[in-house]
Amino acid sequence: MSFTVSDSDKTVTLFVCLGIGLTASVLWAGIAPLSGQAEASATQLANAETFRWNKPTWAPTPPVPADNPMSEAKVSLGRFLFYDKRLSVDNTMSCGSCHQQARAFTDGERLHRGVNGLPGKRNAMTLTNVAYLPSYTWANPSITSLERQMLIPLFGDHPLEMGMVGHEAELYTRLSGDRDYPRRFRATFPEDGGRIDLRNISRAIAAFERTLLSFDSPYDRYKHGDPNAISRAAKQGEALFFGERLECYHCHSGLNFTDNYTQQGLKFPETGFHNTGLYNEDGMGAYKSSDHGLRDITSNDEDEGAFRTPTLRNIAVTAPYMHDGSLPTLESVIGQHYAIKGHAALSPNGPNPLRSDFIEGFSISDAETNDLVEFLRSLTDQQFLTNPAFADPSTGPRQANAAR
Amino acid sequence: MNASLLYKITVVALLLSISSAKAQTDLSSTQHVEVSFTGRLAGKPFACGSQYESVGSKKSTVTPQDLRFFVSDIDLLDANGATVPVSLDQDGIWQYKSVALVDLEDGTGGCRNGNAAMHPAVTGVVPAGHYVGLRFSVGVPYELDHGDPLTAPSPLNMTAMFWNWQFGYKFIRAEVTALPVPHAAGNGENAEPPAATGTGSASQVVDKSQRRSSGFAVHIGSTGCGNGSATVDPDHECKRPNRALVTLSQFDPAKDVVVFDLDRLLAESDVTENSPDTPPGCMSGENDSDCLPIMRALGLPYRDSPAVEQVVFYAEPKQ
Repeated sequence: MSFTVSDSDKTVTLFVCLGIGLTASVLWAGIAPLSGQAEASATQLANAETFRWNKPTWAPTPPVPADNPMSEAKVSLGRFLFYDKRLSVDNTMSCGSCHQQARAFTDGERLHRGVNGLPGKRNAMTLTNVAYLPSYTWANPSITSLERQMLIPLFGDHPLEMGMVGHEAELYTRLSGDRDYPRRFRATFPEDGGRIDLRNISRAIAAFERTLLSFDSPYDRYKHGDPNAISRAAKQGEALFFGERLECYHCHSGLNFTDNYTQQGLKFPETGFHNTGLYNEDGMGAYKSSDHGLRDITSNDEDEGAFRTPTLRNIAVTAPYMHDGSLPTLESVIGQHYAIKGHAALSPNGPNPLRSDFIEGFSISDAETNDLVEFLRSLTDQQFLTNPAFADPSTGPRQANAAR
Repeated sequence: MNASLLYKITVVALLLSISSAKAQTDLSSTQHVEVSFTGRLAGKPFACGSQYESVGSKKSTVTPQDLRFFVSDIDLLDANGATVPVSLDQDGIWQYKSVALVDLEDGTGGCRNGNAAMHPAVTGVVPAGHYVGLRFSVGVPYELDHGDPLTAPSPLNMTAMFWNWQFGYKFIRAEVTALPVPHAAGNGENAEPPAATGTGSASQVVDKSQRRSSGFAVHIGSTGCGNGSATVDPDHECKRPNRALVTLSQFDPAKDVVVFDLDRLLAESDVTENSPDTPPGCMSGENDSDCLPIMRALGLPYRDSPAVEQVVFYAEPKQ
């Protein structure tokens, strides 16, 4: 095979015909400075437009950052990285350690644990439909992309999570020495020769996370044509959920049962951070000094104890609940928290005066609580929890062992 | 219209050639400047892997874990007190635009998040002249503090200085670990925690968890940066910028060195203790009483404590 650099268009065509094997990728990298970049951008744009989202047609398309278009190769690479323990300083933790598929990508712990074995600061959040969120973590409006969110678990000092702070060079060395990664990075990021760096690592993982879509719960099927998809109890619970007595839906609204939502083409994303009255340490509404929620970021007094409304999709498998995992069951969240003007009502200081206007308490019978929980259970998407495409590629899907 | 456009282009081109000519002239009369930094702990030079005694308010024995900080907007002061900006060498590693990372750790000993490379001296050029003093800011300037760290050039891509939860960088990363005090009658394996106040045999049944050496970290950075919007980057300075301003009225770059004195930084801190429910040491949190003496030493306002003159940095003759 012989060719000249000046004849690069034909060369590229030839490579496409050959498929992007190892040899072709090396040659591709060689010609990239002349024509590869433009070609790659065009290819990526095409991929972004043709990328097939694993979602029903009634679900809107999630937004995708302009500099990180979706592609099958990227999602596949991101999936390997998501489950790769080499992303932690002592090779013991991957993203999947705290985000386990069977638990809708949570870990069942009150507080996530880091490589040092110590409990962290907050409850690991679900990755269900995380692509539709305008901001990430429990309360940080400035973290607006998954690409940047993951820098916190990867490189945070306190709490220590994956512990890679200061070790980025070692991370690149580890991945560069892998049998498959160099080839996969080149195939995924031809525009820069498949550089194994933080930008490409984070873009790949984020692309995988954006595919974690859950729209096949019994409630989804009920809403879209199957009147028998959920039980009679769940239907009664649905009525309670959307009723003015309980007020749940004011914050847990919309496609993902949260008032934090964006989609492709939406100009003004919805955001909602609320103090639900979980604590009242000083009688004036203070949360525990370990976590003041949104206020720790904005320094605004009125943001004391405010946290982002989490989605309720798959909520039945993501216990324990609240930002600090302090409430063990859905029943306790209803009966020991929302029904009584917030959990702080049980403390000597009484209900939190800074809590949301919608947290006014309600009376609810045991039967009604059961109905409400049945409704919440109808949001559990078994297909999502067992989809092989989301599982650790080295071990395949795990048996769901989380409580339903 | 074409003629008008041509005219504009010509004018711009002329202006550009004039300004570049001016820069050429200036360059011919510039001088190289190198500002050296050193760390001090227990009165001795800071070095990873060494032990230091009598550190902090409880005179604890510690070993270093890190000492890195950003300096920016460096000026030399002339005899009239006027400031002349130092134009930093753009070395592609440590210095970018007006900011430089000073790295005084070498990755040995307890400096486990560090690396072998060090950068103790910041270099640049100033117009030729006679200078008597130095002024700089400790931190990353606002314009560079909130960019995307995933695409930022070195040194703004070094993860040890990432401060993602506050959407910026750590300006100062200074860490020590208090070492357990060896048991008087035992061997090195049976170390007692320095904080143990139990008497006699009682102290031998100390909870194992307390035997872990306890880190004391000083992470200074801007806080109060979120503007409450999930879609707009911080578009204004953070509520607490936390950039210490250092003015050394007598400083000769050729003969003097800037000291970062950890003794002064930690003078009022018990490095073996941490306020409950707060990050270890001071991570610039608003409700962390461990931060009060640290911020004061750096001259930074904190809660009700006003801005004062910093005492951590000072000049002294090179050894």
